[in-house]
Amino acid sequence: MIRKILINISVITLAIIILALLQELFMPKYMSSIHEGNLVEEYYDEVKEHDVIFIGDCEVFSNVSPITLWENYGITSYIRGSAQQLIWQSYYLLEETLNYEKPKAVVFNVLSMKYNEPQKEAYNRLTLDGMKLSKSKISAVKASMMEDEQLITYLFPILRYHSRWNELSGEDFKYLFDKDKLSHNGYLMRIDVKPVNVIPKGRKLADYSFGDNSYDYLDKMTKLCKENDIELILIKSPSVYPYWYEEWDEQMVNYAKENNLTYINFLDEAEEIGIDYSKDTYDGGLHLNLSGAEKFTDYFGSILSNEFHLPDHREDARLKEIWDKKITFYYSMEEHQRSELEKYGYLKSYGAQAQEKEDER
Amino acid sequence: MNKMNYQLLKFLMLCMLFLLLTGCGKKEEKDDTAKNNTNVEEAADNNQKNEETDKETEAASDASVSDNEEQEVVGYPFEFGDVTIHMNTNAASVIEALGEPVEYFEAESCAFKGLDKIYYYNGFELSTYPMESEDFISSVNFLDDSVSTTEGIYLGSTLEEMLAAYGNDYTQEMGMYIYTLGETELNFLVEDGVITAITYLAIVEGLE
Repeated sequence: MIRKILINISVITLAIIILALLQELFMPKYMSSIHEGNLVEEYYDEVKEHDVIFIGDCEVFSNVSPITLWENYGITSYIRGSAQQLIWQSYYLLEETLNYEKPKAVVFNVLSMKYNEPQKEAYNRLTLDGMKLSKSKISAVKASMMEDEQLITYLFPILRYHSRWNELSGEDFKYLFDKDKLSHNGYLMRIDVKPVNVIPKGRKLADYSFGDNSYDYLDKMTKLCKENDIELILIKSPSVYPYWYEEWDEQMVNYAKENNLTYINFLDEAEEIGIDYSKDTYDGGLHLNLSGAEKFTDYFGSILSNEFHLPDHREDARLKEIWDKKITFYYSMEEHQRSELEKYGYLKSYGAQAQEKEDER
Repeated sequence: MNKMNYQLLKFLMLCMLFLLLTGCGKKEEKDDTAKNNTNVEEAADNNQKNEETDKETEAASDASVSDNEEQEVVGYPFEFGDVTIHMNTNAASVIEALGEPVEYFEAESCAFKGLDKIYYYNGFELSTYPMESEDFISSVNFLDDSVSTTEGIYLGSTLEEMLAAYGNDYTQEMGMYIYTLGETELNFLVEDGVITAITYLAIVEGLE
């Protein structure tokens, strides 16, 4: 009898293990392209002691360098950013983060206020697939799903990705159990330059008001921070595109005032920051390159340090040891990117290929 | 392994198969259209495109501009000189036919893998989105009153003129009148009875 039970348990365990392995195998690895697909997941391996948590879309994970924040101000930070991160995803990522650590400040980039509804499954996946299973993840999925999506495919991604069986490549096997680290505390580095030539003007809109759903989650975020005694700082990162309307800015100014929050539109301060849009962006103004990100971070760091009095931890030997390793990785990646630029004329391993090919046309 | 264990194993395998097939039956159908895509983003883009395409509008979404001459494209076209521009069709020959743009902007697409592009011409801007290494027309937006819709409406026309040209089959919100045909939206923003913005838009998930 015991033998039968043991065999049955073994069979079930084996089936579960095979299923779990297949799931891992079929899931996209985002190692050779679309690196931002790994950002959410990378956080879990981190030593979770950060004074500042950044949340938001590409305007944080491309524009803010936590290494610069550490080097210049001794501020520990992490970016929980992802591609087209919608505000409800930011909220639930923050809620999840607070289960691991309690930062002194949370910085939210407000561009996503313009999206009142879920936009696209592909972008949902880039943010949500990387989240560990938790109440926050389930809530985030429910808030994010498009009409034709199903919750179960986020809980068991094999149900979504099994059709990749005939697309599996060496990358899927190579990174089955362990992936390379690609970000610097959530920052995706790019050192190449593509200047701003044209800044598209915003089209006239019938209604400039942010939607109720967006405001609802901003309210929740504000409440969550206040309950946890965390300073919530709203920013508009200095990316010149997508267009940031005056009317939107005004709503954020008013919201911050009504809720006793700080809101800073860094687009207005780009000159003071020293951003040169002919040199400091890698894609014509959407995202800052390393040079631009370091300038912006240094400027913002002085505000965090002087106005929000975030502590300087550079004398803390334990933290210094942790961050020294990060600094080494940061500069080795910068060096690697420089050598790739020199060798190929573009960042072959860092997602720049498509753009370069287009440029050649 | 005894008979009972074999049955248990069979049952487990069947459960797995059932989950695989039912959990994404709809996706499976769609995924077949994107077999050669190597990431979820591309796959989802193409899936969406296929899913939302009905029999009539399939012609519109698949047609290249050269095809336009042979196939009837359902949607509002914009005509500029000799060039007829349909939303959601391949942009290459339209761009070629329109000649050198006054200005050009490109940026990594927020919704698709590749580059969003904006071509500025006298009187209007034409935007494209990437799909499977090609660009498709996502919108035409009027910049001044030197261009008009095929039905003769331009920036500065009145609400009455618009209604006379397009009728009453529209949706309206906050002064934006939206006419839908096939995979195309034609949007008129009306302020104080006068049209102040005109935009042709492709109806594609993820486009703003």
